[in-house]
Amino acid sequence: MEHRLYFVLGDLLTNIVIGSLIGILAVTVVSTGWNMWLAMLLMMIIGMALSLLAAVAFGIFFGAMEVMVPAMQSGMMSGMVVGMWQAMSPLSAGQGAIIGGIVGLVMLNIIWVANTALRGLRPAGGVS
Amino acid sequence: MVDLHTQRKWDKAASAFDLMSGMGAERRWLPHKQKLFGNMQGKVLFLALGTGLDIAAFPPGQDITAIDISPEMIKRARARMDDYSGSITAEVMDVHELRFEDGQFDQIYTSCTFCSVPRPVAGLTALKRVLKPGGELFMFEHTGSKYFPLNLSMKFMSIITEKLGPSMDRHTVDNVKQAGFHIVEVEHVFLDVVKIIKARKDSNNVVDMTESISNTHSALTT
Repeated sequence: MEHRLYFVLGDLLTNIVIGSLIGILAVTVVSTGWNMWLAMLLMMIIGMALSLLAAVAFGIFFGAMEVMVPAMQSGMMSGMVVGMWQAMSPLSAGQGAIIGGIVGLVMLNIIWVANTALRGLRPAGGVS
Repeated sequence: MVDLHTQRKWDKAASAFDLMSGMGAERRWLPHKQKLFGNMQGKVLFLALGTGLDIAAFPPGQDITAIDISPEMIKRARARMDDYSGSITAEVMDVHELRFEDGQFDQIYTSCTFCSVPRPVAGLTALKRVLKPGGELFMFEHTGSKYFPLNLSMKFMSIITEKLGPSMDRHTVDNVKQAGFHIVEVEHVFLDVVKIIKARKDSNNVVDMTESISNTHSALTT
């Protein structure tokens, strides 16, 4: 896991913001009453594509793959969850943003756990 | 002949390269690169130099030969090369067609290079040719992932990113093996996506010794 505060805060900001934005978009695009699987699939693709573009902007400040990979998972999952939710019962844009932001936070934590499992508890540079 | 399509792509990317990579990616990767490049010794080939952002991670006082396919990138690297405490000689060269003699280098370093080389196994084979027997290859590379859903998103990313620059879905460790290198170590920097690969070109002595052991074994068993 990244130990430098600047990058940790950058990762948190990136994933919460992208999750929230995709959540708001899902509320806007999907209407209640849609087939929930269609809503999920559509928002998965839209979420993944838009989060990649957003991640490029955040990546200027916080890194390359370390930003893009979690951001795409956050955007994809936020789109799927909020899209399905909106298809079943109506959400406000604020609710979409909150749910999306939480999904982004959860996805980032999953990535951190997976990263720790793959490379072990080593700070940047591998000197521990 | 230089791959003009790839050269034009990177010439175009040169003006925005420092903005896109200098603040975020390079600062994030700096400790890892400093540790990797700290192994530099002997006659070193570095590719691809780009705008010279990696020079900040070079240990002082080395004598380094660097190449890049893009003249625009090398032009922008000049100031950083001049500031370096050792010596860096940079040339415009395509990795597929290296103009170096066989077995010229003790070590070769790559930094986010083989995400962009159009024919990676051919490029790595060319590197093997110019490396001395027993010489070392040190790579800092981002690759595809073998884990779902990361592999899916990396393939998806590549559709877009390949148009502008690098592929996000390369299987560089396999490519290094295919080029005939012996993998010494693979260290994950971020997930299984960013990694440090250490490989070696087998020395003639090792081959001779292996053959000798094999011959002795055959003689003993017959």
